[in-house]
Amino acid sequence: MFRIIKKSLKTGVVTGRYPQPTAPVPHMTDETKAKAAPFGKSLTIREVDTGSCNACEMEMNALANPVYDVERFGVHIAASPRHADALVVTGPVTANMERALKDVYQSTPDPKLVIALGDCAIDCGAFKGSYAVTGPVDRHIPVDVKIPGCPPRPAEILAALRALMAKTR
Amino acid sequence: MNDADAAAQQIVKTFEHQIAGIGRVQDIPVVSVAKEAIPTIAHYIHSMAAFRGTLSLQWAVDLRPMAARSQIYYLFSLAGHGAWLILLTELPDGDRLFPSITPRIHAAKWYEREIRDLFGLIPEGHPDLRRLVRHEHWPKGTHPLKKDFAWDHVMGRQQGEYHFRRIEGEGVFEVPVGPIHAGIIEPGHFRFSVAGEPIMQLELRHFWKHRGVEKLFENRTLADGVSLAEKVSGDTSFGHSLVYCEAVERLMGMTVPPRARYLRTLFLELERIHNHIGDVGAICNDAAYALALAHGGRIKERVMQLNDRLTGSRFLRGVNVVGGSAIDLSPEQIDEVVREMDAIDKDFGELSAIVFGNASLTDRLESTGTLSEQIAWDHGVMGVVGRASNIDRDVRRDRPFAAYLDLTFRVPVYTYGDVRARVRVRIEEVQESIHLIRQVRERFPAGDVRAPIPAPPEAGRWALSAVEGWRGEILYYLMAGENGAIHRCKVRDPSFVNWPAIQFAVLGNIIPDFPLINKSFNLSYAGTDL
Repeated sequence: MFRIIKKSLKTGVVTGRYPQPTAPVPHMTDETKAKAAPFGKSLTIREVDTGSCNACEMEMNALANPVYDVERFGVHIAASPRHADALVVTGPVTANMERALKDVYQSTPDPKLVIALGDCAIDCGAFKGSYAVTGPVDRHIPVDVKIPGCPPRPAEILAALRALMAKTR
Repeated sequence: MNDADAAAQQIVKTFEHQIAGIGRVQDIPVVSVAKEAIPTIAHYIHSMAAFRGTLSLQWAVDLRPMAARSQIYYLFSLAGHGAWLILLTELPDGDRLFPSITPRIHAAKWYEREIRDLFGLIPEGHPDLRRLVRHEHWPKGTHPLKKDFAWDHVMGRQQGEYHFRRIEGEGVFEVPVGPIHAGIIEPGHFRFSVAGEPIMQLELRHFWKHRGVEKLFENRTLADGVSLAEKVSGDTSFGHSLVYCEAVERLMGMTVPPRARYLRTLFLELERIHNHIGDVGAICNDAAYALALAHGGRIKERVMQLNDRLTGSRFLRGVNVVGGSAIDLSPEQIDEVVREMDAIDKDFGELSAIVFGNASLTDRLESTGTLSEQIAWDHGVMGVVGRASNIDRDVRRDRPFAAYLDLTFRVPVYTYGDVRARVRVRIEEVQESIHLIRQVRERFPAGDVRAPIPAPPEAGRWALSAVEGWRGEILYYLMAGENGAIHRCKVRDPSFVNWPAIQFAVLGNIIPDFPLINKSFNLSYAGTDL
């Protein structure tokens, strides 16, 4: 017990210790902002991987670590699409995942937002045109926000989520 | 003469009449045999006490348009120092059958199903001919790696059903999980059969993320395939790009400058460190010990921010180029790396002491998800998972690449094969990696970091290379096409080999322990599905 307390005291607070993002915050239309408005200061996210290389997942996971601590901004990660306000979709949508993506979208209660995370989700990236890929995401389900990057840094994802949740004037 | 040459000689002597020829590529003896003789000779290599050959890779090549035939390669790593030996058989155009070796060598089971799906060649006598990569909605006759299949072919959809192995009886239930899971992880399907709590059977259904990586490589030239290799499995971006570059460099007969070899070693170890530290925290979290996850995530983030400062990429992307490294580090940067590593050594050491000082946590880790040495060996299991089950293999020591020949390190091996052993291996490997990085600073040579790219190799030449990524041995086979194009690129992440083993490690455990066992394997779905 003493060891654990000592470790915590020695470590101190690490939240916020990351370089500020240099990439511009993705553009959000008034329509998107209006769709996000009902969720106020709390947004529950379900992450769906439709064929990414796992780098985007690692950065989404990093959001939950003590350095970024996404929960302090009211963003929660849900275990089921039925609990989600927003879907975060990564990867170029493979032929094998297409149906699962559509099922997840159907299972998410309205109103809902869809965020395409990473270059693959936005335009299939390096996998564009492949026989095994049927994407990008917005070919199958409507996308509200696009966060580019390969992969986008956690700080960039966080900035985009905060911009989405920020109150309009 | 090395172990593999001696083995090749003995095989030629024993099976005189069935051998079509013997050649040599790099330092690998290639024994060509008629297809009928493959199962006997493969079993001989696999079971003879002097060889104890593990099937490390099996793959096919469609030689069209160079020649109207297909080849099937069997790569064996022999006992001792893992010397390589290749068996090769050729099928004339129109001959779609080859004999399966799966009944005698378990490690071949997924390779042969993969060859059937991607090339339309049928392994005769394979006990399980269900589809693997092609999900049931793929139209019949779709074999994407055949040369007459267009890379941008638009597939139709057909009706079909995948039949899981079923256990029936009173009180037996099936629990389907996935492809979309509760956490932020990749898609895969797990089908459990349980009676009460204990798992009686687990069957995996993967390849949801099949993106056609190997076909996409054939659109690239040897020099510009690196950026695709980085996206095979994002968490191993550096490992995959390194093994790709090494394969191209061998194919072209290039010498990489010493400074670049040291840089590659440094970055490969950084990738190992951030992944292992994150894993140790995440494994503890799956036993509900959130404190370790918080600390592990924090330390991992520290390494990834260091990566970003050094290279401009948290995943070390864009560093490897054919012929060396795209970036060089200044002495100040190297000092910064070693300073960070010293701090992390202490920080992570304290975390390990907390983890193993907690009896209620270690009780969950001990004897959970035990993978026996016999099963591990039968299935050719490797990497962290293998070393926790007494499979003493590490490419860095057995076939040194980059700068590993000049450096000293220990390879931790455990015999228990449970979750605890896999955590132990990771913790000790982090310590060894930090030790390696300190050695890199001491011995860091001066000079260039990039060699010029020579003229492309002639079509039909090939090379094979291996790198010990943080999960284990990554293998790339590259065959050159015309004018520096890629004719065939076979990618083998260690996950492809280790996934089937998890089906055995979970038996008798309870479903609530599955996430813990799965995390302790921490295999890549993207690297398996390709």
